[in-house]
Amino acid sequence: MRTSRSKRQLLLLLSTCLALVLAVVWMIADAARRRASSAQRTSQSRMVVRLFGTADMVLSSSSRWLRHPSLSEPGAPFADGPAILDIDPAGAMIGPPLEVLAGGSRGVIEPNKSRRSR
Amino acid sequence: MRTQLALILFALGSARRRAGRTLSILMALALVTFAFSSVLFLTEALRREYRMASEALPDLTVQRLVAGRPALIEAGLAESLRQIPGVIAVEPRVWGYFFVPNLAGNFTVMGVDTAQADLTNSPWAGAVDGRLPKTGSRDEVVMGKSLARFLGLELGDAVILPVGPHRIQMDLVGTFKSEVALWSADVIVLSLTNARTFLQVPVGQVTDIAVRLSTPDEAVVAARKIAELIPDARVIDRQLMGRTYDLTFDTRGGVMGAMLMPALIAFLVLAWDRLSGVGPAEWREIGVLKAIGWRTSDVIAARLWEGVLVGFCGAVLGIFAAYLFVFYARAPGLSSVLLGWSSIYPSLDLVPAVTLSQVVVLICLVVLPFVAAGTVPAWRTAMRDPHQLLRGAS
Repeated sequence: MRTSRSKRQLLLLLSTCLALVLAVVWMIADAARRRASSAQRTSQSRMVVRLFGTADMVLSSSSRWLRHPSLSEPGAPFADGPAILDIDPAGAMIGPPLEVLAGGSRGVIEPNKSRRSR
Repeated sequence: MRTQLALILFALGSARRRAGRTLSILMALALVTFAFSSVLFLTEALRREYRMASEALPDLTVQRLVAGRPALIEAGLAESLRQIPGVIAVEPRVWGYFFVPNLAGNFTVMGVDTAQADLTNSPWAGAVDGRLPKTGSRDEVVMGKSLARFLGLELGDAVILPVGPHRIQMDLVGTFKSEVALWSADVIVLSLTNARTFLQVPVGQVTDIAVRLSTPDEAVVAARKIAELIPDARVIDRQLMGRTYDLTFDTRGGVMGAMLMPALIAFLVLAWDRLSGVGPAEWREIGVLKAIGWRTSDVIAARLWEGVLVGFCGAVLGIFAAYLFVFYARAPGLSSVLLGWSSIYPSLDLVPAVTLSQVVVLICLVVLPFVAAGTVPAWRTAMRDPHQLLRGAS
């Protein structure tokens, strides 16, 4: 009786370990499959990078040194004052009030849905 | 083999006898591994995206600095740069930013000259739904899909843009596909003429000059020659851009990692406390084991197996959950903490850079300290005299 209980326990342990190993194998295979099927996407992104001349990603559009970190000069975060702190607006989870951002802006973009060119 | 199987069974029984403690430690371990793995997977995937795309970058980008800030540069300098040996193409570019208050976001405005040979020959259908603006067109615009969606626009719709002192109605003739949203989500592409007016860049001046070399390895030499030719120039080479990005991701990922360190330390302290808190029952258990002939090494091996089993299950559960969270659920919450807030987020449809070696390293990083935290106290207890242990003396 004890032996059958031990066998059951071992089987349970083995199946748990096997399930976990299979999960890792699936994860690696899924990652490899997604990498292999991203060849077209890679060529598309290279086209866009060639057109724009920069590979900076749209991770933060709140300021130029975050939008284009590789093209901004090293002092860009401090450009508005020699001793100003880098407030890193995109580094905060909560953004500043929109009124603050709107200050000093020019013009607006208005969608005009009334007219369709075709 | 039989001995090890018996030890594994004993370890299993031991874990089951203290099911509450085992389960809480397993969940805490999975949670800590999940947090670290999510940050690692996300930053590695972004790093991969950048590396893959950066091959199309120009070898050198020439800017001009005035008072330490980027300023417009003479377009005529492009001809001088073309004369430098090794330079095969020079492209003066007009681009800049535009803030839209009602969307509270900065947009990148790019001017493109579609008459350029390399652009007319490119299969743009792959990256753009529709087409690029015609050369010299006054009323055509192409946008990132996210921006167009933000504005409620569809292909063929009209949009009013403030170009210079006027507000000009333009047609949306193309949108960048969502596959390239990571680069184009906030971009407005205009013809070179329109971009110049829109960004108020005078004729004869440009934002910067892109330079392509026949031998990219000679970028440093070419950069030195450009610096001699244009003393106030800032020349950025492609490798420097790559380093900037590595640094950016390392910083962001590192900050997140540093924020998670207290959680890891707290977990290890908890694990040490729980596993070394060998109570009277466990003292007696080890005492009995030693009294019936178990060696110290057997006691340690049993505890080692228990640690390995719990640690492996917790670590793999955490890593697997992190993979699903980042690449299937698109990292809700984490992306905004790691990348910052932004008005126009492209959807983070990232390609995983996860490899077997990464997973093995992650598992080892979590399991090894955890096993050590559980084994060392057991070893210290097992070294004692069985009589002392049975009496429950500390």
